[in-house]
Amino acid sequence: MKNLVVIGAGMATGRMLEHLLEADAGAYSITLFNAEPRGNYNRIMLSPVLSGEKSYEEIVTHDAAWYAAAGVTCRFGERVLSVDRDRKVVVGEQGEVPYDVLVLGTGSDPFIIPLPGHDLPGVVAYRDLDDTNAMIDACQPGNRAVIIGGGLLGLEAAAGLRLRGMGVTVLHIAGHLMERQLDENAGYLLQKDLEKRGIDVICGANTEAIEGEGRIERVRLKDGTVIDADIVVMAAGIRPSAKLAKDSGIDVGRAITVDAQMRTSDPSVFAVGECVEFDGQLFGLVAPLYDQAKVLAATLLGQEAAFVPKELSTKLKVTGCDLFSAGDFAEGEGREDIVFRDPGRGVYKRLVLEEGRLIGAVMYGDTADSGWFFGLIKDGTDVDEMRDTLIFGPAFQGGATADPLSAVAALPPEAEICGCNGVCKGQIVQAIEAGATDLGTVRATTKASASCGTCTGLVEQVLSVALGDGFSLPTAQPICGCTDLTHEDVRRLIKTKELKSQPAVWQELGWTTPNGCHVCRPAVNFYLLADWPLDYTDDPQSRFVNERNHANIQKDGTYSVMPRMWGGMTDAKELRAIADAADRYGAAVKVTGGQRIDLLGVKKEDLPLIWADLNAAGMVSGHAYTKGLRTVKTCVGSDWCRFGTQDSTGLGIKLEKRLWGSWTPHKVKLGVSGCPRNCAEATCKDVGIVCVDSGYQIGVGGAAGMDVKEVERLVDVRTEEEAIDWTVAFVQLYRENARYLDRPYKWLAKVGLDWVKETISDPAERQALVARFDISQSVYQTDPWAERATPEAARSFLPIADLTLEAAE
Amino acid sequence: MDAVADQAVDTFIQVTEVWVPDRDRLVLESGAYGDLGAFAEASRATSFAKGEGLPGKAWVEARPVVLKGFDGSYFKRTEAAAEAGLTAAVAVPVFAGPDLKAVLVVLCGDDEARTGAIEVWAAKDDLMMLDDGYYGAAKQFEWVSQHTHFPRGQGLPGGVWSSATPMLMRDLGSGYRFIRAESAGRAGLTTGLGLPVPVPSGQDYVLTLLSARGTPIARRFEIWDARPAKVGKSGGAELIDGICAREGRLWTGTEETPRRTQPWQGVVGQALGRGLPVVEQGSPSRTAGYDTMVALPIHDGAALSHIIAWYC
Repeated sequence: MKNLVVIGAGMATGRMLEHLLEADAGAYSITLFNAEPRGNYNRIMLSPVLSGEKSYEEIVTHDAAWYAAAGVTCRFGERVLSVDRDRKVVVGEQGEVPYDVLVLGTGSDPFIIPLPGHDLPGVVAYRDLDDTNAMIDACQPGNRAVIIGGGLLGLEAAAGLRLRGMGVTVLHIAGHLMERQLDENAGYLLQKDLEKRGIDVICGANTEAIEGEGRIERVRLKDGTVIDADIVVMAAGIRPSAKLAKDSGIDVGRAITVDAQMRTSDPSVFAVGECVEFDGQLFGLVAPLYDQAKVLAATLLGQEAAFVPKELSTKLKVTGCDLFSAGDFAEGEGREDIVFRDPGRGVYKRLVLEEGRLIGAVMYGDTADSGWFFGLIKDGTDVDEMRDTLIFGPAFQGGATADPLSAVAALPPEAEICGCNGVCKGQIVQAIEAGATDLGTVRATTKASASCGTCTGLVEQVLSVALGDGFSLPTAQPICGCTDLTHEDVRRLIKTKELKSQPAVWQELGWTTPNGCHVCRPAVNFYLLADWPLDYTDDPQSRFVNERNHANIQKDGTYSVMPRMWGGMTDAKELRAIADAADRYGAAVKVTGGQRIDLLGVKKEDLPLIWADLNAAGMVSGHAYTKGLRTVKTCVGSDWCRFGTQDSTGLGIKLEKRLWGSWTPHKVKLGVSGCPRNCAEATCKDVGIVCVDSGYQIGVGGAAGMDVKEVERLVDVRTEEEAIDWTVAFVQLYRENARYLDRPYKWLAKVGLDWVKETISDPAERQALVARFDISQSVYQTDPWAERATPEAARSFLPIADLTLEAAE
Repeated sequence: MDAVADQAVDTFIQVTEVWVPDRDRLVLESGAYGDLGAFAEASRATSFAKGEGLPGKAWVEARPVVLKGFDGSYFKRTEAAAEAGLTAAVAVPVFAGPDLKAVLVVLCGDDEARTGAIEVWAAKDDLMMLDDGYYGAAKQFEWVSQHTHFPRGQGLPGGVWSSATPMLMRDLGSGYRFIRAESAGRAGLTTGLGLPVPVPSGQDYVLTLLSARGTPIARRFEIWDARPAKVGKSGGAELIDGICAREGRLWTGTEETPRRTQPWQGVVGQALGRGLPVVEQGSPSRTAGYDTMVALPIHDGAALSHIIAWYC
């Protein structure tokens, strides 16, 4: 009988032994080494053992009786020191064992990030039962755990430790949790779910050091955040354990390299599991390990078999978290998404199609059909025929018509349509039978879609199914094809539901696309930053090109550069700097209607340079490209003019210095005239102030573009301070309420000047608006030129290809 | 299959009964009374109006109710209970949305040997606090529980609360440290089953059954997931966790085919099909070889989401 020595009693070698013994129990005399003092157990179920939801006994795969019955000689708790391939012996701590065939199943080691303090007592990895028990030992109510790594293992550890009574913080370096398995939207739902369990999650967390006297006490992040900790769990990934193979002279790349029969560079030595590299791939999930085990058992019995890596799927073992991911779900050209969301139930499903086939799927909250979708991915099934109803799963396939409405038609009467008000399809149908023929009537009689409004589309589909041609869509237009909600709905819901990120908006408001489109993204980006300046970070990718580049692109592809001139005032130094810049960068010079100087014809790659030059002369961006404050046009006022009643220039400068940098739904232009002769043309501005002897007349909602319109009087005030307060409050009210890309005059036509007057007249409300504006300015009143004039930032303005180079002959 | 030979141990719960609304009263639907025939007779002859007796109180107050000591209380079957040696009871209303489907009542006897815990936890000020509980002889554990609260995600009550899912914890008192582990261990408590008890008011309640080896609440626990999000639109339920004194683990690993049942199939299927608790006694072939089985449905809104089953 040949001697088979197996090093490592993990899940892969365990499965290999099962296959081998089942096929031919007498083929080999088997010796099994394991460094752990125990045999094979179901390692992937360690998380429920950590949480207390399973016991170790329940996850033992092979107990002592099994090994005894199988006739396997167990050398558990004994480390293998070396393999002498010339003599064909394995050298263990307790002595040598000869082999005819050797199987390496050495698994993997946890990756410990070499942070300062990583070797302090209290830092543990999460790999085996001993690690699990170490974590359980650390669990004392009131103790705090920090988990470094928001992948599968890290999150399972977090949930387990939380159940054990610990305070838990997860630090994850990427922008969202489980970024390798989930897209941003599913990551958002997962984070929300974990936070509901009292687990703190910090994404984008850059850990600087683990600190403590003698043992860990805290974790410090690069941004200065300090988190107290009694235990730190490193769950930053695994590395194949290939040292023994390498030391034995077996070929090792990133892991032990094997062929499709699991044979290493030595024909008598095989490897299986997480320690192998096949065709450049490493393996960490159990499914391919079991495939390898089957192939290896067959190979050892002289049968033909070959390992072929397959598509993998992921599930998270946290009770109550239902997620599934498989295949490739990155966005790409030629790829198409189908998205289904049910905000009420916290459900998100996304399918990614390419060339008529399903290539990826991500699901959160409803994984019932995950097996079916996974099958479609693995088999490469052509799904063109069922594309329209694919997202509804197998229950809706094979019908006569592939019509999304048929899915709604097939819903039983008790199917809930409106989660907020608990209205089911039957009640809506009853209301329709009783005479309701439009959304408004259904809403009034049943309350369906009357709260969050996200089921509006479904209610309309029920109307459509019930009434056929008798139903016509309502006139309120949604933002774009990604949603049935109007701008006004979205603004209201962002506030009332406290949505503070784009994934939160996409999910909670049931967007039908993964990340919005070029129409809705800029609007949602604005709404979020206007409503949650301290919580939301502006997303440059959700801006128009001019705003991204902080310059207006011209018809020849060059850009215009316009420094701010506060209230239209400048001086000789600024003018010299402008003249020098014009010379240096070959710019044309134009005086604008907004009392500033425009430098035209600047090349994109010169932008950071000209900005730096103008910055050096004390000038900042004029924001001539933004949906934000443009200019405050003034006349010379009482300082110079015989008719001037007040210091209009001074007031203009003050207003511009207060308002610049703020993002608004559309551009905002101001004018301040020193007397009713109105030289600053204030009465056709978004906000126009006309100074009079008794104070200041503030008008709003003027226009002088495609539409021409005179301002309407908002208020007359006595002091300059009041004029500033009223103006700031008006701009903030506009920021908080207007639809994106509505100028103030259009917004006023919708909400009515009376409401605006009434709101701002309340002194408390006015002060609150001013205070909220100032909070926003504490974040956004920064000069974009200064930020982008650095060498690193400047690189993004360089052309991708240098077209000036000529080909070498 | 015959009843298992080793089941003669005394159980913590002695009587389990299901009361269902019939117009304006609760009537007995089914019950497991063991050899307490007289109490069974008394129960069959009784019905409860809303607010009347323990089941009626759970109905009118729309929350789980613990009653310790029947004398002088609103308990209606005091005499029969005293004769049967029953001293405490817990009533758990089963609501599907606003509708009461049934009231499950368990009754226990008090003696020095009976250890276990049936607890009702209620959310207050963002913490799960003990509303009331019955502990038998586990007096110290009772004291600890009264002075413990659980934030979201912590311990069995906090875990059930935050995940809105029933949970089964093992080895409460041994190497795996249940938050109240020290006293749980002293009280001999081993396995803990926690489940949400949804009520129309939206108040969060969690019921926990903590079982001790000597006088187990049950020797087999099962959790079945019946949410469409888990089992699809075809219905049925999947066994997601379970442990049995005889068979060991009942859950299936990632490589195994999960156990599923359909409505009306077996006792769990009965509970699934009717949306009502089912109590089965004396037919071990239907109850995994045990004498008594209870299947308790949990609803999420109007839809049935889980079935909890325990056997002893």
